[in-house]
Amino acid sequence: MQPVPIVPDSPVSFPVGETPFTIALPVFEGPLQLLLHLIESRQLDVLTVPLADVADAYVAHLARHPVDVVNLSEFVATAAQLIYLKSRRMLPTEPLPALTEAIDEPDEDELRRRLVEYRTLRDASIILGERDGSAPLIRREPRESDLPEAPTEPMTPTVLAVALERLAAIPEPASRPPEVVARELTIGQQITVLRQALSRGGRIVLQTILADCRSRTEAAVTFLATLELVRRREVGASQADPFGPIVIEALPHGRAG
Amino acid sequence: MTDAEAVEAAVDLDAYCEALLFIAERPLSSSEIGELAGVPRLQAEAALADLRERLDEDGRGIRLQHHDDAWQLVTAPQVGSRLAAYAAREVARISPAALEALAVVAYRQPCTRGDVERVRGVDSDYVIRSLLHRRLVIELGRRDTPGRPVLFGTTFTFLERFGLTSLDDLPPLSSEAAQLAALTSVVTDAVAVVDDA
Repeated sequence: MQPVPIVPDSPVSFPVGETPFTIALPVFEGPLQLLLHLIESRQLDVLTVPLADVADAYVAHLARHPVDVVNLSEFVATAAQLIYLKSRRMLPTEPLPALTEAIDEPDEDELRRRLVEYRTLRDASIILGERDGSAPLIRREPRESDLPEAPTEPMTPTVLAVALERLAAIPEPASRPPEVVARELTIGQQITVLRQALSRGGRIVLQTILADCRSRTEAAVTFLATLELVRRREVGASQADPFGPIVIEALPHGRAG
Repeated sequence: MTDAEAVEAAVDLDAYCEALLFIAERPLSSSEIGELAGVPRLQAEAALADLRERLDEDGRGIRLQHHDDAWQLVTAPQVGSRLAAYAAREVARISPAALEALAVVAYRQPCTRGDVERVRGVDSDYVIRSLLHRRLVIELGRRDTPGRPVLFGTTFTFLERFGLTSLDDLPPLSSEAAQLAALTSVVTDAVAVVDDA
């Protein structure tokens, strides 16, 4: 039999005998969840168990099983805290450090308090989950008469025709790509495009460049490229009135070209 | 006004509130209702409380739901599941992680994302955004502390989905206070032992 790699939370088929069966291991999202699981699965009392007792199990679990990467640092911080608690217990003769010195040190009571608080709200969330949608309260649906009045301004078919024309102006993609590929477009590339456009006449209207863009992303990157050129003082931008044409002009001592 | 007249006026106001909430297309506040009924807000509030109690006690098919000072009529919990065939509702499952975050917001509101993360011990940005997206929680404002973090609270959608006529109906937390008190006494005892030694 070939070994089967186990990936948590993705069911894996085990070819045992005639019929394969699938298992899914839980992935622990956070250290409190894991710690509580270790305590509860050993039927220990979270209020009294020395947390150092589960330090080994915690570290062993961390070493063997993947955890949610986003919260890896939280897992590691709690591991360090547990190891510290355990090391303190192994040296019973060492006097406890004075409270003022211990201010940054892991505090077992604090960790336990967080565990209890987490457990309380986790239990509440389970109860809520059981209630979810089982007996919903339903409010009155808005009737059509509740909807805001239609605009009183008369609408002409021309409005529709104009709207349709605007839609038609967006060109179809030249040809469908064989598969979906993320298009990588950099500000640097668009700076080159802008410089080329400027080299022909020395001034361009930004809107005409943007109108040629085939996607929202391309337009956005082109716009950012323009801002970059303005920042580098290669070009100047001016706009006579709001929503009017934005004129981009190569500055004399700039590096345009 | 005689006592009989007063009773009659109160019953009339209850009926008015019921009718008004029946036709309202959004939750109404007690001051709005008072203004529309031509009575002081406190009187409207008393009428709402009265109506709420009567709908509940008479086992009617509707209930009066409130969140803060917004009131609306909803169907009773015992008929909700059977109404699903008519009022088809989106019932996308809520993940256990999102439920945890929702529980923290529900029991600790108004609270910040930081509060949720402190209780859960994990990053909760994504789950809170999913709760916002489902309109189960809403931004209430900002806390007046450094960074002015956003405060979250639950919505009517939350109450409706979980069959609660108000936040007072939330299942009580499993004696959290008692547990924390027990914890404190254990700690105190331990400290006492250390002191004795």
